[in-house]
Amino acid sequence: MSDPVTPTQQEVLDTLAGFLREIVAEPWIAEVPITMETSFSQDLELESIEFVALATKLRDRYGFEAEFTDWLAGLEFEEIIALRVGSLVEFILRCHSPR
Amino acid sequence: MPRFLFVVPPLAGHVNPTVSVAKELLARGHEVAWVGHRGAIEPWLPGGANLFPVEDCGSPLLAAQRAAMARTVRGLESLRFLFDDFLLPLARMMLADVERAVEVFRPSVLVVDQQALAGRLVARRRGLAWASFATTSTLLTDPVPELPKVGEWLCQRLASLDLEAALTPTEDFGLSPHLVIVFSTEALMGAKVLPAHFHFVGPSLSDRPDPTPFPWDWFRAVPRILVTLGTVNVDRGSHYFKTALEAFQDQPLQVVLVAPPELVGPAPENVLVRVHIPQLAVLPHVNAIVCHGGHNTVCEALANGLPLVLAPIKDDQMQIARQVVGAGAGIKLRFGRFTAADLRQSAERALGDPKFRDAAKRIQASFAAAGGARRAAELLKGLA
Repeated sequence: MSDPVTPTQQEVLDTLAGFLREIVAEPWIAEVPITMETSFSQDLELESIEFVALATKLRDRYGFEAEFTDWLAGLEFEEIIALRVGSLVEFILRCHSPR
Repeated sequence: MPRFLFVVPPLAGHVNPTVSVAKELLARGHEVAWVGHRGAIEPWLPGGANLFPVEDCGSPLLAAQRAAMARTVRGLESLRFLFDDFLLPLARMMLADVERAVEVFRPSVLVVDQQALAGRLVARRRGLAWASFATTSTLLTDPVPELPKVGEWLCQRLASLDLEAALTPTEDFGLSPHLVIVFSTEALMGAKVLPAHFHFVGPSLSDRPDPTPFPWDWFRAVPRILVTLGTVNVDRGSHYFKTALEAFQDQPLQVVLVAPPELVGPAPENVLVRVHIPQLAVLPHVNAIVCHGGHNTVCEALANGLPLVLAPIKDDQMQIARQVVGAGAGIKLRFGRFTAADLRQSAERALGDPKFRDAAKRIQASFAAAGGARRAAELLKGLA
């Protein structure tokens, strides 16, 4: 469930990058830097089912299941194509910030 | 006697299935005709075929857009290009000529390729009996159910065409409510819950003799792999071809690499580089195939019971690759990322682990049992 302390951007990015390396599980991904600018489709060629696997891991790590499912289902086609790691990091940070 | 009018897009892979099925219909004494772009279609039609040509004014532009897209677009983005820059303009361009062809030929059944959306509009407007040909099997249902807005976007694009033609939009991915003939099998696609008017007849493989020469005496008694990108993706294959060379040089196998020699450079003696091969004749002589996951190449390989290594690029290739992996007949790589070591290991597994070949042979058997063009012709006759 969610951490009592809000994680930093770098912590979320590192967690996300670790999950991505686990899901892709191919030798090249160890060599590729994963940054806020990394594109899921162009840079990582992530498939939609892998994206869902990533979402599941993030949900297990950070909680806020309902927000996550809604966010994912609400992504427009254009947003999905252009989606960068940074957008996901920022979404997680937003969910953690006090309302 | 029933009369069948085929509505086809200017793509050879979508014309071929209509030719095999038309042959079966003609053999039963039925009349057939085609409507489409003469330049792209006529070379594939039987001599003396009745073709209603589409005014070709815009197709060089479409061809150029499609070529540009083939060079750059990848993954899901290609779905947007396919519809916005190709299929929807194509439908608008073909509409009047399909109407005219129907008025002149008076078909009992309109047979509409899923990508020739003008046929769907005309059939619905006139209340004609019509069948869909799903030449590739990836848009029968929501292509990306994990991300619902993709399917919604697709339905909206199709709805915009329906509205322009004063029709009520439907949510059927452009397919006929009467009969959908799918050129694949459930053994490859995975069992799906689909309405009863969907029928799987297996892929339509060309039976035209291919005169392309090939040095058959080059083959030696070692495992052989065919490496290809099909016909339309060659100019983005530089990384792919070079990686294949690096992966397989000095390995105890022979590789037929279908590529322009100038893109490949000097090849080691176990690699044969040819810009064209008679692919259907070569496939029975190889043990595995490395390709991009185009529906035709994949089905031709599986019809020969060959395991596959797939590096999909765009369009339906991601889903075809997912089908092959799901059926256990192959291994998927990432087109822009895979290394020589990845490719070598994947090819070794595809060749060495019998489970891949066994799965490919199961799909091969399903193709042989699916009934092909003959069954498609019977289904169409039932609709007339």
